[in-house]
Amino acid sequence: MGQAANFLEEAGFSTVVLTPTHEFNRTVGIPRSLAIEYPYGRLLGQVGDSQGQRDVLLAALTMLTEADAPGMTRHLPLTWPELPKDTHWHPPEMSPIIKAHLDEIKKARRK
Amino acid sequence: MEHNSKEVDGFRFLPPGLAAWILTFIPDGKFEGPIPWTPLDKPLSSARVALVTSAGISLKSDPPFDMEREKLNPDYGDPTFRVLPKATTATDVNVNHLHINTSYILEDLDVMLPLARMAELEAEGIVGSLAPSTYSFYGFQWGGTEFLNKAITPMAQQMKAEGVDAVLLTPA
Repeated sequence: MGQAANFLEEAGFSTVVLTPTHEFNRTVGIPRSLAIEYPYGRLLGQVGDSQGQRDVLLAALTMLTEADAPGMTRHLPLTWPELPKDTHWHPPEMSPIIKAHLDEIKKARRK
Repeated sequence: MEHNSKEVDGFRFLPPGLAAWILTFIPDGKFEGPIPWTPLDKPLSSARVALVTSAGISLKSDPPFDMEREKLNPDYGDPTFRVLPKATTATDVNVNHLHINTSYILEDLDVMLPLARMAELEAEGIVGSLAPSTYSFYGFQWGGTEFLNKAITPMAQQMKAEGVDAVLLTPA
């Protein structure tokens, strides 16, 4: 998504990325990022939580006017109400990239 | 980085092995290269905003994203994109993505693509307008320029034609 944001920014649009993994910004610089500690696939909030979704959306849009230099990352002080093991964000089947690199992933964990 | 009361842990929801493996691809230090920058030259209340998500959302009337391609080549997802009208709701879409549980988006589109919330902000005058077109692509593109050429370039052209000022991107 960083590549897409940078391309659009170069094309003349102001962009903001709502990111669940701001650590990737160390690999690709991103003009404006709002980091959020919510599960993958539900970055705006819980199903049916209109007020919570609105709050996150407004925080992201505010960065468009408040960020004053490229590469700014703001961290949202929000906590998802479930433990990670209870969020069920995973796909029903292991994703192809994980299947393909499972041995490397197991080794990484042991280090 | 701007400091406040919380430092987000981007790996909190990942299994430890997967987090450790991903970290092997991420350098320790801050990104030092050039970062493009287009300041928003008007208040949000006058700006036209487009939404872009990599959640693999497509209208039921359009072809779904191709999942088989990534199963054959795990580094490389479908590089195309889909356009969704601003009035799209969860009942209008398919969601195809091999990295997330898509059922939540099918229950409530706004958990990833906040069209209903944006419509409210537009009606209240907080945002100038939501662009007529919203964009979805399939997020798993490791390197290469095919994705930029096939998806992002035409998206940018359509945004220009629709007078878009700013873009919110929500990655899956």
